[in-house]
Amino acid sequence: MIFLASDNPTDHATDKILFETGAGTPLLTMHMVTIVIVAVLFVGVMMKVAAAIATGPETEGNDRYLTKGRLSQLIETMIVYLRREMLVPVLGEEHTRRYLPFLMTVFFFILFNNLFGLIPILDILHLVRGRETPVGGTATANIMVTGALALVSFVMIELHGLREQGIRGWLMHNFGGLIPGPIYLLPVALLVFVVELAGHLIKPMALAIRLFANMMAGHTLMAVLVGFGATAAKGGMGTLGIAGISLVSGVAAVLVAFLELFVAFLQAFIFMFLTAVFMSLLSQHDEAQDHEETNAGSRPIPEPAGG
Amino acid sequence: MPLLFSLQETIEHGPKHAEVMALNWLPAATSLVVFLVAFGFLYVKVWPKIIQGLDERDRKIRQEIQAAEDARRQAGEALAQYQESLANARKEAGQMITRAKAVATSAAKELKTRNEAELAEMKQRATREIENAKRAAIAELHAETATLATAIAGKILKREISAADQQRLIDESLGELAGAESG
Repeated sequence: MIFLASDNPTDHATDKILFETGAGTPLLTMHMVTIVIVAVLFVGVMMKVAAAIATGPETEGNDRYLTKGRLSQLIETMIVYLRREMLVPVLGEEHTRRYLPFLMTVFFFILFNNLFGLIPILDILHLVRGRETPVGGTATANIMVTGALALVSFVMIELHGLREQGIRGWLMHNFGGLIPGPIYLLPVALLVFVVELAGHLIKPMALAIRLFANMMAGHTLMAVLVGFGATAAKGGMGTLGIAGISLVSGVAAVLVAFLELFVAFLQAFIFMFLTAVFMSLLSQHDEAQDHEETNAGSRPIPEPAGG
Repeated sequence: MPLLFSLQETIEHGPKHAEVMALNWLPAATSLVVFLVAFGFLYVKVWPKIIQGLDERDRKIRQEIQAAEDARRQAGEALAQYQESLANARKEAGQMITRAKAVATSAAKELKTRNEAELAEMKQRATREIENAKRAAIAELHAETATLATAIAGKILKREISAADQQRLIDESLGELAGAESG
């Protein structure tokens, strides 16, 4: 553990440049490789899960409805729970059916990346080879990766808003219902429009920063805990002291790893769920009522349309 | 050549660390492309299967629950019918027992009456037969007595009486005896 520790704890979570131009522009980074590997794994696993969940031939009798395999059952349980208990109450039955593939892809894509980041591939290879390697790491601890995912969410949220409200409805919504209206309210309407647009952008930015910060912080915390032993060694502490500090910090790091496991699920869920909530806020609704609620300082999640 | 140099450097000395907030657009573009490709593939090949499988199972479970509820309702109705039939059967059995008791009582009474009548008739017949026998015995006794008396009287009178005299004496005696009895 001491061996794996580096001077800068964020080194364990940051991206690594594998190729760059002569001018120093990165061309290939570790997170780019990681995200491709994770995506291939993700698609492979989901194909297996789909085959396991799909109804089998009639010759199997009632067993054809059973999902085969524990991993498939686990993923199915998550899908069923998120669909029935989380998405349907927020989006309603129809919108949940429409956006379930997207929202579930977002959730599992982030989850797979988060979980892949918990496998200490980088550190094991480091231990074996004696120097840093280009494979491993948590791609979701990269603000550019989470930003790209947030961009996809942003596009889906806005497409949903336009589809639900139409261009006129979308504009009216963003003008706070003040247009058409008295001409003297035009400056206020413009101000509201700017604020609303800012809100549209801030929401996905918050998604990106939240995911990035949580993943980065978790891995940095683990690196800090593991690094205590190395710091003690560099500070000239005796063998017994180094062993004691390494033991305590190692146990703490293991406990934090369990917390990180929970955070991996939690952050994937939050990203997906907030995307669904932002979508639901742009669903067709009573404009006047919505803005009354907004002005009153509350903007509740819409009531479930079904289920 | 600079790329080869970069590769060589990475192999020999390990990769260079990027900054925490480095705005490197390549990971973003890669993520975007990879996500969209994965989503597109899953949207066409995977999610329809999963959603269809879950929906079919959901439908199957709902059908099974509905069938179970129907079966329970039918069983309840059958139980109610059975209990009603049982109650009716008990009621009918009670009525039949009551009727049977009444019939038995009536039959017993009738039998008793008939037996009593037959007994009375038998008694009367026996009395009559006894009376007849008594009369016959008395008549025979009278006849014997008369014969004996006549014989005795003949001996006393030392004379022989003819059969015709004997018969006349018997008849007279019987006539007197009958008159005495009726008197």
